[in-house]
Amino acid sequence: MQSRIPSYLLQSGNENFQPGNTKRSKLSFLDRTILNSANAVKSIYLQGENGAKDGLIQKINPHIKLISLIYMAVVISFVNEVTSQIILTIFIFSGYLVARLKILEVYRKIFFLAFIFGFLVVFPASLNVISPGKIIFNLISFNKPSHFWIYNIPENVGFTENGIKVVTLIFLRVLNSVSFAFLVVYTTPFPSFIKSFKIIGVPDTFLMIITLAYKFIFILSRTIEETYFALKSRLNGNIRDSALRKLISGRVFFIFKKAATIYENTYFAMVSRGYNGSVKLHSQYHFNLMDFVALTIVFAVGLIVLLFYPA
Amino acid sequence: MDEIISLKKVDYSYYGKIPALKNINLSVKKGEMFSIIGLNGSGKSTLLHLINALIFPDAGEVLFDGNNLTERSLKDESFGLNFRQRMGYIFQNPDIQLFCPTVFDELLFGPLQLNLPLEIAHERAEQTLSYLSIGYLRDRPVYMLSGGEKKRVAIASVLTMNPDVLLVDEPLSSLDPKTQTFFIELLLELNHAGKTIVFTTHQLDLIEHLQPRVAVLSDEHTIQKTGTASEILNDEELLISVNLIHEHIHKHGGEEHKHFHSHYVFHKH
Repeated sequence: MQSRIPSYLLQSGNENFQPGNTKRSKLSFLDRTILNSANAVKSIYLQGENGAKDGLIQKINPHIKLISLIYMAVVISFVNEVTSQIILTIFIFSGYLVARLKILEVYRKIFFLAFIFGFLVVFPASLNVISPGKIIFNLISFNKPSHFWIYNIPENVGFTENGIKVVTLIFLRVLNSVSFAFLVVYTTPFPSFIKSFKIIGVPDTFLMIITLAYKFIFILSRTIEETYFALKSRLNGNIRDSALRKLISGRVFFIFKKAATIYENTYFAMVSRGYNGSVKLHSQYHFNLMDFVALTIVFAVGLIVLLFYPA
Repeated sequence: MDEIISLKKVDYSYYGKIPALKNINLSVKKGEMFSIIGLNGSGKSTLLHLINALIFPDAGEVLFDGNNLTERSLKDESFGLNFRQRMGYIFQNPDIQLFCPTVFDELLFGPLQLNLPLEIAHERAEQTLSYLSIGYLRDRPVYMLSGGEKKRVAIASVLTMNPDVLLVDEPLSSLDPKTQTFFIELLLELNHAGKTIVFTTHQLDLIEHLQPRVAVLSDEHTIQKTGTASEILNDEELLISVNLIHEHIHKHGGEEHKHFHSHYVFHKH
């Protein structure tokens, strides 16, 4: 039998290839961007699953958790006392203990968000430039007061008691809001959490769209990751920026086309099973004693901080 | 047996330019096992889409139980519901078929859309989970399933509607041998239970296993021949002309040789 295999395939080694230079691979930025975003998506997706394994909080009906989340968001924003916010912080932290979550891992994320949005952004408010009052820690002294843009800069600039209280309060508000939201998200599988929105009258069609969007994020993130691996396996990194941009934009278009095809076929699959414009999702409305106990505890703590530590 | 599906002189093209099906005439009887075979791109899936009234022909008629399937006729709520309940479609790619939050929601979707009372829908879903041995997947999100599990759930999601006709696009695609066997036995069992099964494939071994009546689609998107499984499988000339068997190299022990070869039916030396 005569072989039609090209002659170069019959030789081993690739002597004609020029050795690459020692510059760092340009694909490294792709490594970080694509893999980090893919990992972020995967971690969001897995957190609900991991959280749903055991623990008391996990067993609470998602509807109760959603009501509690809304109630606590209101309580946290109404409470103007640092002591009350600290009580709420301790209460939420005890929730994490009961849920048997990986506390260090979760709180690292919570503190990061609270630091950015609850501290860094409002930090200048602790200075007497923004919050007038008695200085408790002097930072800098000028010869005379001055005026800059809309601010009056006093002779002595420092932290005021009122300013520190404002910043602490905002920091605790953000910390409590984020940690309670994370507690609910980490202890509820995503599908159950989405379906729980039925209790506040969110239409089934809207919930279905969220579910589909969520699902496609994972399908597409997998596609992006696999495309990236295919790219990486064939490129050694020594590629011009313009060529790389062209390659990536081509892939973006491919993924867009793929998403459009998936959407169209999913629509067909829905029509084939009787979809005619409105979706009927079933949601579990059976509550047990533990659900009512949990709801009572959350309401009681909220009332205590509102009534006994008023602003 | 009465005719349940009938296509008369059906033409279909994508965007009015790319022909997908030309002058298709076929009929499927109630309780029959029927297969459409052909290469990739010959129009098999498009044909199933037409039978399921997801798309409509450029010319010709598609009839279900004597009723013409048109956009207008399906807008009649009573007819539309009845048609969707009586015909289930298992897509080739289960990823697109599974769109609900959990497996159990997936099984309830069809019955609830078709206005089945919740208690009955629940009962059916539980029974189907048990029948297909997927009870352990009940509350799992659909995107957390393996390929074989997704396929089982896709089948279950259609079975809960209790359709008279099951359309199955490439039943064995991307399945491991164990799941393939499970699927083949399931199709046979459902057919024995009185369901009409219409499936597409390019795997001749599946025709050998299920012995359906067969329509052969050519590369020119026309039906080349319709006949029993043995009539089609023994027509070597036909299968060569539609490229379902072809000349290729293979080995027998230490001997390597090349000739027209179908792995399951033809093997003349």
